[in-house]
Amino acid sequence: MPNSSLLLEIRNLHVGFRIFEGHLRVLAGVALVVNEGERVGLVGETGCGKTTTVKSVLRVLPIPPARVAGGEILYRGRDVLRMHRHALHVLRRQELTAIFQDPLQSLNPVFTVGSQLRDIVRDSMRTPEGRALSRREIEARCIQALEETGMPDPDRIMSNYPIQLSGGMRQRVCIAEALSTTARLLLADEPTTNLDVTIQDQILRKLDRLVDQKGSSVLMITHSMGVVRDLTQRIYIMYAGSIVETGPTRQLLASPKHPYTQGLMASVPRLTGRGVSEGIPGRIPNYLEPPPGCRFHPRCPHRMPECSVEAPPMFDVGADQRAACYLYRRSSS
Amino acid sequence: MTEPILEARGLTKFFPTKRGTVRAVDDIGFRMSPGDTLGLVGESGSGKTTTAQCVVGIYAPTTGDILFHGRSIGATAAKRSKELKREIRIVFQDPGSSLNPKRTIKQILATPLAVHHLASGREQLARISALLERVELPPAEYLYKHPQSIGGGEKQMVAIARALATDPSFVVLDEPTSALDVSVQAKIINLLLGLQKEMGLTYLFITHDMSLMRNVASRVAIMYLGKLSEIADTAEFFQRPLHPYTKMLLSSIPVVSDEEESLKPAKGISRGEIPSPVNIPPGCSFHSRCPSRLDVCDKIDPATVEVAPGHVVRCHLYPGPQEGSS
Repeated sequence: MPNSSLLLEIRNLHVGFRIFEGHLRVLAGVALVVNEGERVGLVGETGCGKTTTVKSVLRVLPIPPARVAGGEILYRGRDVLRMHRHALHVLRRQELTAIFQDPLQSLNPVFTVGSQLRDIVRDSMRTPEGRALSRREIEARCIQALEETGMPDPDRIMSNYPIQLSGGMRQRVCIAEALSTTARLLLADEPTTNLDVTIQDQILRKLDRLVDQKGSSVLMITHSMGVVRDLTQRIYIMYAGSIVETGPTRQLLASPKHPYTQGLMASVPRLTGRGVSEGIPGRIPNYLEPPPGCRFHPRCPHRMPECSVEAPPMFDVGADQRAACYLYRRSSS
Repeated sequence: MTEPILEARGLTKFFPTKRGTVRAVDDIGFRMSPGDTLGLVGESGSGKTTTAQCVVGIYAPTTGDILFHGRSIGATAAKRSKELKREIRIVFQDPGSSLNPKRTIKQILATPLAVHHLASGREQLARISALLERVELPPAEYLYKHPQSIGGGEKQMVAIARALATDPSFVVLDEPTSALDVSVQAKIINLLLGLQKEMGLTYLFITHDMSLMRNVASRVAIMYLGKLSEIADTAEFFQRPLHPYTKMLLSSIPVVSDEEESLKPAKGISRGEIPSPVNIPPGCSFHSRCPSRLDVCDKIDPATVEVAPGHVVRCHLYPGPQEGSS
């Protein structure tokens, strides 16, 4: 893959939280890559560190209690973790954009939709000549952004407060905010988790089309295998703070190799109606004292002695598919 | 059909509010045989939880009635006999808020046993241990723990054990797994199915997850804005979905394999918002979003028609034999 297409690269990221009981070692060497124009999914269950990863990229983790213990987050080759305030501000305004799970928390309840949207457009958009937009241009851009998300009657919505809108409408506002700018990378953290399935379907299709039009890259965080399958080309499966498997989305979902991914996929209820598996025994480890070696080994049906000694590196398990599991040691050349 | 264990007849529950009457449940009817799992599926605001709450007696229906073994049980829990409350139990969605955080699991499970005078003293402890074993939690480890020190899945198992403490015959499951991860959900679902077989339970399973119902329910009912749009046996329901709303729901499900993709109906692209239950559209409440709307749809509410044995649809596309063209 040509290096020029590399947009975001997370290298060996370690993030912890200092709390009263001790030191929570949450992220243990997360590594992932998003290329220019690519849509990547980051999938995992509650508490696996997906949101911590995204917040690290945006640098919105509260420090303390959070602490970046090591690693790099490179955006177009520049380390986000070492950026100065001004550079970070520019990055957040013009390059990165985010949609979070709960639009009521990401929208300010005391300002109208219009006033929030105008602020974003005013701050992050420039004309091709580099001039700030006029008031009329800002207004037009805001209305257009709302229209693009399929919002009926955008003029009226502009003067509404978030509380006056339904959940689906609020999430459309967030999408409009995220995509009203010229940002290159969209971080979407469970954007449709709180929505009903028919509304989720509409929003995902809209998001899909808008991202296509703008050619943005996406890092989509979710726990829904179905959502990543619809929206992304490549996925990373995360368990207890590290990436356990990665590969092209459909290929990986059709033939998962890591025992955790296999257990997860077997647990997903299918429309084919062949029943559900027994799930995965045990639960996610306590981050105060994570198990040594592979963090999945206490729950793994294929546990081997070396699993509790050292965390396995990634082994090739298929075309572009890699899994962090000693089961596949031989197949790696 | 065997003697129904539970039957809803014209069940209606309205809530008066300042902005108008919320028609949460509007004239629904269904029958359940012993050992059935009826999956009551719907989106937010469809009235599925209100239906469940009428069944367990949290609300009394505005009109209509619920029959349990042929006897009317339309009153609220305050007026129900203890015997009846022992028979019909409920598991709530969020075990984090349905278990008292200040009590140990032993105390939580002792309450129903004490209230119903089922066991006390040493016998009570034995019953509690047996209950915990039944939901696959080792009693020695869990008896004296508080809810906050166990995981979400384990909490839900305690909530299930509490529901089963009185040896009920009918359990309402109100989205018991929607707050949980899929690997935990799988475990709970298997446990519930096992318990059903073992104890001969009948489940009213409230959910928004159609894929889950494909694997769990024996019958599926779809609710939309307080009304039932379609009911059928599970296999028939997924092979031959008829109502446009059902098709829209099915086609909206994100699935994980090509095989499932081929099972989804092609038509029924999702559009429109779910209207507010205060301001339900006239005629068929779904007409504003329906891709196959007819002229009559915004004027006359369609009648419920049995199109095949056990397959009931409420849509003008499937007029009943007695109706003709209206």
